[in-house]
Amino acid sequence: MASSTSNTVYDIFQSMDSGAPSSSTAAAARAWLEQHSQSLGLFANGKFVCPVGRRTHAVTDSKGGTVCSLVCAEDEDISSCASSAAAGFKAWGELSGHRRAKVLLRLASTLQRYTQCVSELCDLCQSPCPPSALVRLAQYYAGWAQLRDTLMPEWTPRGVIAVVVSEDCSFYSIWIKVFPALAMGNAVIVVPGAKLAPPALLLAQLFMEAGLPAGALSVVTGDGSVGAKVAQNNQISYLTYSGSQQDGEVFSKQTAGWGLPLSVCLSVSAMCPFIIFESADLDSAVDAVIEAAFKKNKDWQWVLFVQESVLDSVSARLKVRMAGLKCVSLPCESDRSRVDAAVQEAVQQGATLIQSSSPPASGALYPPTALCGLAPPSSAAVSPPPGPLLPILSFRSAAEGAALSNRTPHGQAASIWTEDLTLALETAKSLCVGSVWVNSHSVTDPSFPQCGRRDSGNCTDGGREGLYQYLRPSVSPSLTRSTPASLDYATFGTAASKFMVPEGFDPSSVPRSCFQYVGGKLCKADSGSSRTVQSPGGAVLAHCPDGGRKDVRNAVEAALKVQPGWMKKSPAARALSLYSLSDNLEKRKLDMATSIHAQTGISIEEAEKEVEISITRLSDWAARCDKQTGGMLLLPQTGSALSAPEALGVVGVVLPDTKPLLSLVSLLGAAVSVGNAVIMVPSEKHPLPALDFIQVLQASDIPAGLVSVITGGRNQLTHALANHSEIHAVWYWGSMEGCQFLQHTCCSPLKHLWLHCEEEKAKDGGKYWSHPSPSVQEEMWREAVVWKSVWIPTA
Amino acid sequence: MSSRNPGMDLDLEWVSKVRVNTQAVLKRAQQVQGCKVAKKQWQAAWLLKAVTCIDLTTLAGDDTPSNVHRLCMKAVQPVRQDLLKSMDMHDKGISTAAVCVYPSRVADAVKSLKAANSSLPVASVATGFPAGQTPLKTRLEEVRMAVQDGATEIDIVINRTLALTGQWAAMYDEIRQFREACGDAHMKTILAIGELGTFTNVYKASLVSMMAGSDFIKTSTGKESVNATYPVAIVMVRAIRDYYLRTGHKVGFKPAGGIRTAQESIVWLALMKEELGHEWLTPHLFRLGASSLLADIERQIYHYVTGRYAAYHELPMA
Repeated sequence: MASSTSNTVYDIFQSMDSGAPSSSTAAAARAWLEQHSQSLGLFANGKFVCPVGRRTHAVTDSKGGTVCSLVCAEDEDISSCASSAAAGFKAWGELSGHRRAKVLLRLASTLQRYTQCVSELCDLCQSPCPPSALVRLAQYYAGWAQLRDTLMPEWTPRGVIAVVVSEDCSFYSIWIKVFPALAMGNAVIVVPGAKLAPPALLLAQLFMEAGLPAGALSVVTGDGSVGAKVAQNNQISYLTYSGSQQDGEVFSKQTAGWGLPLSVCLSVSAMCPFIIFESADLDSAVDAVIEAAFKKNKDWQWVLFVQESVLDSVSARLKVRMAGLKCVSLPCESDRSRVDAAVQEAVQQGATLIQSSSPPASGALYPPTALCGLAPPSSAAVSPPPGPLLPILSFRSAAEGAALSNRTPHGQAASIWTEDLTLALETAKSLCVGSVWVNSHSVTDPSFPQCGRRDSGNCTDGGREGLYQYLRPSVSPSLTRSTPASLDYATFGTAASKFMVPEGFDPSSVPRSCFQYVGGKLCKADSGSSRTVQSPGGAVLAHCPDGGRKDVRNAVEAALKVQPGWMKKSPAARALSLYSLSDNLEKRKLDMATSIHAQTGISIEEAEKEVEISITRLSDWAARCDKQTGGMLLLPQTGSALSAPEALGVVGVVLPDTKPLLSLVSLLGAAVSVGNAVIMVPSEKHPLPALDFIQVLQASDIPAGLVSVITGGRNQLTHALANHSEIHAVWYWGSMEGCQFLQHTCCSPLKHLWLHCEEEKAKDGGKYWSHPSPSVQEEMWREAVVWKSVWIPTA
Repeated sequence: MSSRNPGMDLDLEWVSKVRVNTQAVLKRAQQVQGCKVAKKQWQAAWLLKAVTCIDLTTLAGDDTPSNVHRLCMKAVQPVRQDLLKSMDMHDKGISTAAVCVYPSRVADAVKSLKAANSSLPVASVATGFPAGQTPLKTRLEEVRMAVQDGATEIDIVINRTLALTGQWAAMYDEIRQFREACGDAHMKTILAIGELGTFTNVYKASLVSMMAGSDFIKTSTGKESVNATYPVAIVMVRAIRDYYLRTGHKVGFKPAGGIRTAQESIVWLALMKEELGHEWLTPHLFRLGASSLLADIERQIYHYVTGRYAAYHELPMA
C-alpha cells in the first residue's frame, strides 16, 4: 500500500486510485478493553467475574496483535455461573411479558447509544456485525416478549438455555438464539467462540444496563471443550449449537446421554446454490454473485449454477467485473495450501480459471477465483476450501438445475435469478433448502424463519416458528436430566433377540400369528423369526414378526416411492384420507378396545375411551390438514416473503408403551397430515393394538407404503432407523440408553430428533396423550414440519 | 482519440432479450454509493478528474453572447490558478471537457474560445431539444447548422414516442440519419430516461442508440422531472458493457441534470470505475453534464488546499 507522501495529486489523477480507507482507531472499543485491563473474565450473576489462577488465551486482531486475553472457565466457575442462571431464570421468568418487553426495548436504545463501541469491538475481533441488525433483533423480540402470554398461553419457558456458538460463526448468530430465548422468559448462558467473546461480554454488560435481572444472561468463555462442560451442568434444560459440521458432530457426541435436548445449526460453510436462469437479469445476477462469493467474512459457500444457454454471457461478464477485484485474505495461513490444492485439482480436471490477478507467491491472500467448467464429482464443487473460490457448473433445463443443486448434503439456502415468476416459484418449491432468495441473496431479518435442511441443521430460527424451541407445552412433564451410561455404541441394538419357548400355554385359546405392514403389504419379518406378545398376566396372546434392518430398509424404499406424491396431493385430499382412517377406526371400535384391553390389562371401559379419543384425534388431524399453513411475512424491506411448512420426508417413530393406540394415531396423524411418510415401531411390550390397527389402515384410502408398521426389538429397530440416511427424523419413546444412542448416532447425517425417556414419562400414566390442551397437538405438528421461506424483493 | 463507434445493423433479437430487475439495480446503486474514496489528495485528484470531464453547460432562454463568453472563459480556466499551482497541477492542462450550448449560441461560443486561443470543443444540443417533438426534417437541419457553426459535439435527443411504443427500427433509422448529419462531430444521444417508464426500456433504448452509432449515451436533458440517477446510470453503463463485450466498441456515458455537489461527482466517477473500469475514466468516454457543479468542486479544492471553507465571492463566477 502506497504511503500518502509518495502520492502526489497528479499521480492519483492519472492512476485514479481510490486510496486506502482510513483505518479506524477503534478508540471506544479500546477504551472499554482498557477498563478491563485487556483481560476479560466471565459474565455471571450480572457482573464480570475474573477468577484467578485460570489458564487464559488471547484474542487477536486481523494483523495478529493481541486484543485481549480471555479466561478459560473451570468446572467450579461453570457451576456457580449455572446456579446464578437458575436464580436469574426465576427472577426473569416471574416478570410479566410487558416488563420483559420493556427490558428488551430499553436494550435496543442502549445498543443505539453504544453503536460505535459495539461495532468497533466486533471489527477488532474480526467478527463484524452491523449494530443496526442487533437493534432490530431487540425490537423484534421485545414484541414477542410482550405477546407470549396472549398468543402462546399454553406454553412455558424451558429454563436455563445454553447457547454454544463456535468462533467461525458470525456474531449475529449468537443473538438470533439469545433474543428469542430471553423473550420467551428463559435464562441464557452464552458460550461464545474466542473471537466472539469480547463483544458478547460487552453486550451482556449492556443488557444489565437495560435492566435485565442478574443471572438471566451469562457469558462463559474458554477453550473448545467448555461448551460440553456447560451442557453437563444439570441446571441447563436446553442446548443449542451453531458452528461447522465437524465441530457440531463432535459436540453432539460429547453431549449425548445427558438428557438434554440439543438443536444444532450447522450453517457455517454450508454450500448454497446460486442459480442463474436464461431469463435472468444477467448483469444484476453477476454483480450479486460477486458480492456474495468473494467477500471476506462470507456466511455461506456459494456454488454457481448457470443455464447452458447463457453460460458464455455470464462468464464474459464475470471476467470483466472481476478484473479489478483485490485479493481477499483467507481465514488463516494454513488455508492457503488447501486453496492452492483445490484450484490445481480443478485445473487438472479441465476447469478454466477466471482470476482478477495471479495469486501472490505465498501468504494468506488469494485473488477472487471462479472455476468454470467444473463437474459435480470434482472436489472443488463438493467441498471447496474456505476462501474466495466460486465453482461454476452448468445445467440444461430448470428441472436439471434444481436436481443438480439438490445433490448436496447441505440445505441452508439458495439464490435464484430469473424474471419469470412461475419459474422462480416452481424452483423455490423443488429446492431442498430452508431459505430461497429470488433475485437477491443473503437477506436476513428476525421475522424470516430460517430452517436448515439435511446436514445444515435441525432447528428453526426466526419468526414465530423459531420461538417454539425455547418453549414446552405447559402440560408436558418437565425435563429430567440424566448422566450418560457407558454405552457401547457399536453393539447397541445389534444383539439378536432371545429365542424362547414360552411356558404356560392355554389350550383354550391358541395364539394367533400377526403380520407386520411394510410397503402396503402384510408380511413376516425379513429374517423369518417372530416373537411372542404377552398379556400383563403372562399369557401368550400372539406371535408377531421380529423385524430388523431389512424390514426398515424395505419400508423406507416403499415410503420414498409414495411420499412425494402424497406431499403434492392437495391438503383437502389428504384430509379425506385421514377422515376415512378415522371412520374405519370407528367401525372397528370394539375390536380395537378388546385388543387394548387384552394387551395392557386396563378395563374395557377405559380401553373404549382410548379408542374414542383416538377417533377424535384422527379427525382433528384430518381437519388440520388444510388449516395450518404458513403465510405472508412482513419484512422491513419491500417485496413479498412467504413462509410455508413442508414435510420432513420419512419419519421413524418408536412408540411408547402407554396408550398404545392413542399414541400411535396421534403421532401418525401429525406426521401424515403434513405430508410425511412414517415408519411406526410399536411398543415392544404392547404391540397388539398397533398390529390390529393395520387392518384399519388397509381399509382406509391412505396410500400403500405411506405408513409401515414394523414390530420387533426396540433397540434393534431403533438402531435400524438411526442408520438409514433417508429417514429424516426419529421420534423416540423408550429407554435412556436409546436416547443416548440416537443423540450419538444421528448427528451425521443429521436427523431431527424428538426424544423421550419413557421411564420418566410413564409416571403421569399417559395423561400427555389424552390431554385436551391445544399445545400438545401443536407441539406434534411443529415436530412434523420444516419451514421454507421464499423472499421475492420488489422495487 | 480512440476510434469512434461505427455502429452496427439493428439486432432486434438482442434488444428483445433484455431483462432488468429493478430492485436488484436499486440495490447495486446503493452499494456503489457506498464506495469510498480516501480523503486528502485522493479527494482532490478525483475532483480535478471530475472537472476535466465536465461539459460546462448553459441551456436557458436568456443566454446571450456575454454569459456564453463568461462560461467559455470559466471552462478554459475552471479552477483558480493559485489553487492548481499549490497542488502542482497548473501545467497539466486542467480544463473542462467542453462547453455545451443551444445551437443559436454555438457561433458565440466558438468565437469566444478562439479569441482565448483555446481548442476546447463546443457541444450543442440539437434535434428539437428538449422534447424532440419537431419534424425530422427540421431536426436534421438543426444538426447540420450547429456543425456548420463550429460545434464538434452534438447532443441529440431521441424520439420518445418511438421508444415508448417499441418502434425500435424507426428510432434506429432516425439516429442513423442524425449520425450522418453530424459528420465528424461526435454524437451524444440523450435518452431522456425520465420519460421512458422502465429500466428495461432504458436498456433497450441504450442498445439501439449504440447500434445506430452514438459516441456517447446521455441520461437526460435536464429538463425532465427525473434526471441522472445512479440506478438508471447502472442500467445504461451495463448496456455499454454489453455492447463492448459483443462488438469491441467503447461507447461513452454522460449523466446530466441535477448533478450539483462535489460529492456526487466522486460517486459518478466511482460508479464508472466500478462498472466499466479505469479506461472509462477519461473525457473521451465519460462526461458530466452540469452547470453549477463546478462551483462546488472549486470550493472543495479550495478547502483541500487552504484547510478553510471558501465563501462564494472568493471564487470567480462563471
